[in-house]
Amino acid sequence: MVENPPRPTDAELELLTVLWSRGPSTVRDVHETIARRRPTQYTTVLKQMQIMAVKGLVLRDEKQRAHVYAAARPREWTERYLAGDFLRRAFDGSASRLMVGALSARKTSKKELVEMRRLLDEYEKGAQ
Amino acid sequence: MTPIETWVQTPLAQAIGWTLVHSLWEGALVALVLAAAFGAMRSSRGRYAAACLALLAMLAGFGFTFSRAMPRQRSRVATVVNIRGVSLPDGFEGKNRLAQRRAADFPPWLAPFWMAGVAIFHLRTLASWMAARRLRRTGVCLAPDHWRERLDRLRARVRLSRPVTLLESCLAEVPVVVGYVRPAILMPVGLLAGLPVGQVEAILLHELAHIRRYDYLVNLLQASVEGFLFYHPAVWWISGLIRAERENCCDDLVVATHGDAHEYAAALATLEQNRWSAREAAPAATGGNLMQRIRRLLDRPEAPRRALTPTFSAVILVLTAAVVLTAWQSKAGQAPAAPAAPAPPRRETTAQPLSEMGKKQREEKLRNELETPYRKWLNEDVAYIITDRERVAFHRLTTDAEREHFIEQFWLQRDPTPGTVENEFKQEHYRRIAYANEHYAANIPGWKTDRGRIYIIYGPPDEIETHPSPSATVAYPFEQWRYRFIEGVGTNVIIEFVDSTGTGEYRMTLDPNEKNAMLGAPNPFGPVFTSSEPGAGVTVTITSDRRMLIRIPLDFEAKQYDIYGRTRRADTGAVVSVFEDAPRLCKDAPGTSDCLPRPVFQPFRAVTLEPGKYIFEATVKDRAGSAQMTYTVSFTVE
Repeated sequence: MVENPPRPTDAELELLTVLWSRGPSTVRDVHETIARRRPTQYTTVLKQMQIMAVKGLVLRDEKQRAHVYAAARPREWTERYLAGDFLRRAFDGSASRLMVGALSARKTSKKELVEMRRLLDEYEKGAQ
Repeated sequence: MTPIETWVQTPLAQAIGWTLVHSLWEGALVALVLAAAFGAMRSSRGRYAAACLALLAMLAGFGFTFSRAMPRQRSRVATVVNIRGVSLPDGFEGKNRLAQRRAADFPPWLAPFWMAGVAIFHLRTLASWMAARRLRRTGVCLAPDHWRERLDRLRARVRLSRPVTLLESCLAEVPVVVGYVRPAILMPVGLLAGLPVGQVEAILLHELAHIRRYDYLVNLLQASVEGFLFYHPAVWWISGLIRAERENCCDDLVVATHGDAHEYAAALATLEQNRWSAREAAPAATGGNLMQRIRRLLDRPEAPRRALTPTFSAVILVLTAAVVLTAWQSKAGQAPAAPAAPAPPRRETTAQPLSEMGKKQREEKLRNELETPYRKWLNEDVAYIITDRERVAFHRLTTDAEREHFIEQFWLQRDPTPGTVENEFKQEHYRRIAYANEHYAANIPGWKTDRGRIYIIYGPPDEIETHPSPSATVAYPFEQWRYRFIEGVGTNVIIEFVDSTGTGEYRMTLDPNEKNAMLGAPNPFGPVFTSSEPGAGVTVTITSDRRMLIRIPLDFEAKQYDIYGRTRRADTGAVVSVFEDAPRLCKDAPGTSDCLPRPVFQPFRAVTLEPGKYIFEATVKDRAGSAQMTYTVSFTVE
């Protein structure tokens, strides 16, 4: 695949997330996962997956009887398409102000990362 | 005036402006106290609570200051009052004072900017909140069952009873908690499978700690406080401390529950590293506080951190104290402390139309700042008996409490029997006012008539000779009052009043021929000297007993006038007399007796002057519009 697939819609993004989470799956697996969060029709999911295959968002493995779908791009790929969408990035970025989590919204510098690793290694050596 | 200029003069803008100025030093003080408390405290929970309290204290301080700065509503008060105390037309001010006045006028201008800032910051918070909600719905899927079961077990370990949804998200960069009512943990997709189970559990514990501590809600409220006090660096400093200590608290809980600090620290470092490889964005120059957290987890001494903000706070504290003091002085110092206070020599000016700029500037100064009940007390109740020095002093008072105290002292000083509850002087004074109102009322209230004034000042005359109907020699009804002795005036004083208008309002004769009759005795109040600058219109008359009578024409139409006047010595500039009034014309005030029948204003109180050169200045202003006249008259009292 030389060309990049188009940007996924929100519905397509959800299906992709399932594929990224679970790895290559059948439509039935994907449908089951989604249906646990919100009611949805099997045929809807099937149709969406087929469209996404045409768009190049997913790859279809037809070797087995039940077709297995896999995400055509790694999860990190969304970063790039989000990076291109400035407004959306700003929007999501602002969300981080309100969310609480293990890591702050600001990133640690490379230098500090190296320092962290060194500290962890030292600690491990000291423990042994 | 533009709408914003008008708005800036409202009590609300004044209150906000001054609250902003005061909150600068208040916040700086809070930050200093917090910095000291942090030095003494080691536990994260204590520090977190202290920082939260500090933020609340800043907000409370803001609210309290605002409620104090906002004038209280009184049922009797029709006009709302400016909080800055008395102000007089700036033509009366020396140059120094003018500069100080500018300092005092500045804070209200902060109000519009502050309000715009509050709106922007809150809109941003709203957008963030919507984005967080969206993040929870878009690009997510439920985590695999075995992870959700594991989360339930962890939930039991931290004794969290509320249900928590575990979602995988392709948009979240790092694990986050979203939502307060139905909290959800968003894990970047792939993380659950990509990290060692122990590390994932440690991360999940951290997120559960956030949920247990209601951090999402607190963070939301925190963002709102930030939005209100955004202009204050101390708020951002404290807010940052809260965020840092919040993570430390959660870290402590993870280590206490999970047991392995090293594994947890390693998980955090891995997460941060994943985030790096995932993105090719420009590296942030300075990181968050993760480095410190990992040092803390591994129990390594922290690299010394330079806490700039306490120093910064101290600077702010000193600066704002200076600003507030300057403004305060200008507020208190608008009238000189003593009449002898020298003022810079000034060119004498006669009344002339003001330039547009001057008008606008003056208009801002010409604020009516005495509340109605006190103005009534000053200009009606005791108008004839208050001394000039007392009047000047009363104008300098800024709070109602001070004014109440002043009034109490005023009567106490005149009480002939200070030891008793009764104040005979006060009783007699109010009796005279009541008597005057009852007997001398005409188109104007009795106390304002000439007879009323004399009665209130000198009491009942010893003899009254009335001539109610005109006769062959007398064109108008007149009365002669005789006092055997008046202190400071003389013996056998005869005062004559003529009803030349036929309205029942007898006026004290300044012109002996007014009643077209010969006078039996010299009139002690007869005119001696009259000064009127050409074109000025204002007439100052000095009687033989050195009383100054003023006549100010109202040269323009207005529903409600504001008049300010001031007499000062030409040589020293010392203020000897001040008056202010808000008259209306009778045609604009139907049904009331407290009005002017003609567009001429006369202060109801004559001032006695020592010999010397004086300058009388007056400003007449239309309260609703921009029309305004300023007069200056120079005169000499022999």
